[in-house]
Amino acid sequence: MEGVRLTIALIIAIILQWTLPGVWEGFAFIDFPLIVVVYAALQRNSIRALLFGTIAGISVDALSGGLLGASGFSKTLVAYAVSEMARRVYLDNLILRIPVIAGACFVNDLVYYGVHRLLGQTPTADPVTTVAYSVIGTTIAGTLVYLAMQSFSADRARMRKRKEMFAPRRQTRRRNPIRLGK
Amino acid sequence: MVERSQKDVWRLAPWLMIALLLGNFVLMAFDAKVEGGERVIRAWTETVADFVQSPVTTVTASVSNYFSSIANLRSAQDENGELKKRVQELEVETQQKKALDAENERLRSLLKLKEQSKYNVLIARIIGRDPSAWFDSAIVNRGSLDGVRLNMPVVTDGGLVGRITAVSPLTSQVDLITRDKSGIGAVVGQIGESSALGVVTGTSKKELLEMKYVTGSTDVQLGQTVFTTGQDGIFPPGLKIGEIVNLVSGSATTPHQIEIQPASRLGSMQEVGILLYEPPDRGEFEQKLPNAVKKK
Repeated sequence: MEGVRLTIALIIAIILQWTLPGVWEGFAFIDFPLIVVVYAALQRNSIRALLFGTIAGISVDALSGGLLGASGFSKTLVAYAVSEMARRVYLDNLILRIPVIAGACFVNDLVYYGVHRLLGQTPTADPVTTVAYSVIGTTIAGTLVYLAMQSFSADRARMRKRKEMFAPRRQTRRRNPIRLGK
Repeated sequence: MVERSQKDVWRLAPWLMIALLLGNFVLMAFDAKVEGGERVIRAWTETVADFVQSPVTTVTASVSNYFSSIANLRSAQDENGELKKRVQELEVETQQKKALDAENERLRSLLKLKEQSKYNVLIARIIGRDPSAWFDSAIVNRGSLDGVRLNMPVVTDGGLVGRITAVSPLTSQVDLITRDKSGIGAVVGQIGESSALGVVTGTSKKELLEMKYVTGSTDVQLGQTVFTTGQDGIFPPGLKIGEIVNLVSGSATTPHQIEIQPASRLGSMQEVGILLYEPPDRGEFEQKLPNAVKKK
């Protein structure tokens, strides 16, 4: 069930990434698919995170002016790094997740820029400004998304607890104390 | 469904990562290699994306138009409810009419361009911008089914916008002239009247171009217009690129340093024209160069 929810979230993130920069250019600095990829990696499911990284990256590359596979490469690398980190370090706290998403975005942008330079393609945008804006935008958006998800899952946990507290008592079958016929 | 233990997943993950990274790297290398040719994978991914992008763009454009209309209504807040509602309705209508008028004006100018141009012009609508912040490109709603081919020039009534770099059956990708990879053969002033020839490329500054290799001994003035020469083998001659806004004069041994503001408003354009122009065969073109070895 968790996998289905995350897949839907990833599809929505890719659609947002495709369309929102057309509405306002500033949205290009928010990496919506990366937020979902990092979230999936934080769930300690490395395989899902890696596949999400590749699919999200290639989908974004398809409509970008950059090389096809460059974003897939960087997001796959970030997904693996975050899932390995989540396996070794406790990262279930929201405060700890904020630097993780910022770091993931920074590494993702650096790798993306690096592979383009490596293959002789120089991105148009100024790297320092773009990385800085991208880290700020994605960290803010990621924090808000994680905050919303945390409060959503806390609400669900509270509901479950309440249900358990006021659950109808199990009706045990009693034997008739007056045994008829004996 | 095969259930894997956490240990299996951790053991498998590095191998999967290596395989995926390799896959991505092969894709990148392939894409970098076929820069000038047909990019099949990209074309088909664009086609799939178009089914989502086109309707979403239409919806978001109308929603944002509506909200921008509402945002202009702050002055009517003090009036009573009924009047306010009426004014809002009228204001929304006016804004919509203004938007329609502006669109009409843009289309009219494109139509004028189509009539005046020596080449066949295909009007296209921009349906998406580069989803990443790194490159200057746009997606238009015309593809190979409409006759669009690779490297066709894209213009507005203002001037040159860019060229087609990927074509799918329904959509095409346009690389804008502000991208520093683009090199356009250009001349300051009209061809034949000026000898200030050079190459126009993008810069890291958005909305600004640079003209390189213009001999310092030629006469160049601020505010002069720069046109294409057609010598790059992609763009036809005589297309307006922009105006010189910054000039550091060179000498007999150093070239001029020229910055150009593009004639087209690249940030806010919504419709463009694709020139159905096929450049002359490169071999034939190169044979016309003065220093080329002529075939017997």
